[in-house]
Amino acid sequence: MSTNEPGNHDEALGSLLKEWSANAPLPLHFQEAVWRRIEVAQAPAAASVWTAIAHWIGTAMPRPALAASYLAILLTIGATAGWTRGRHEAAQVNGELGERYIRVLDPYATPRQ
Amino acid sequence: MKKGVFILLLGLAAAAAAYACVYFVCTSSARNLQRSSQPELAWLKQEFHLSDSEFKRISELHAAYLPQCAEMCLEVDAQNQRLRALLAATNQMTAEIESAITESARLRGQCQRNMLEHFYEVSRTMPPEQGRRYLEWVQDRTCLANEGMMSGQ
Repeated sequence: MSTNEPGNHDEALGSLLKEWSANAPLPLHFQEAVWRRIEVAQAPAAASVWTAIAHWIGTAMPRPALAASYLAILLTIGATAGWTRGRHEAAQVNGELGERYIRVLDPYATPRQ
Repeated sequence: MKKGVFILLLGLAAAAAAYACVYFVCTSSARNLQRSSQPELAWLKQEFHLSDSEFKRISELHAAYLPQCAEMCLEVDAQNQRLRALLAATNQMTAEIESAITESARLRGQCQRNMLEHFYEVSRTMPPEQGRRYLEWVQDRTCLANEGMMSGQ
């Protein structure tokens, strides 16, 4: 029977592996390198959060009730921000024009030479 | 997914549009004031709710007052320069400094008198309630307030 047959080959390899032992020292920073690789391997778990969000946008967002609420809330936020900013600027302009009226009429309202 | 993203972006666009529209409406009045030929008078009309005829009369009073106010400004400037020169030339009180101080006070008094007359005239042109409010407002903000002329201080 030839040693090239599959059964014989496995047995020979098995006995060879049993005899083998690793005496070479581990490379420098071997453990750190292993942990780094583990961390890298776990990174896709973070990406799965984005996947979940994308999935939620794709499935929940198109629901009419949620879409309408979302639009209404953003419209309100935009309008409120515009109103606050607009009122503030209008008040500022009014104040400046009032001061200007006084400066036109009162020689002592403007610092003189 | 595409529909969800579209709604997401539509919401942001709606918020931006709402912001722009409301901001535009809130500031339109201020922009109109600034665009007018005499913004301070346009402001006065809006602030004290003047009718067109009241505004016309007040504009005339304003236009009549400005030349004498400008003349007063020149006098005040010239007097300030005189006083500054006198103060720089010495380190003690002199008769000239005393007389310059007296002249400065006279100019200030005259200026206050002219202003007050103008303010009274303008306030009488306004509806009574607005006229009272106008008088309080100008007295708080002009050199009349510093002298306490109207507040009895």
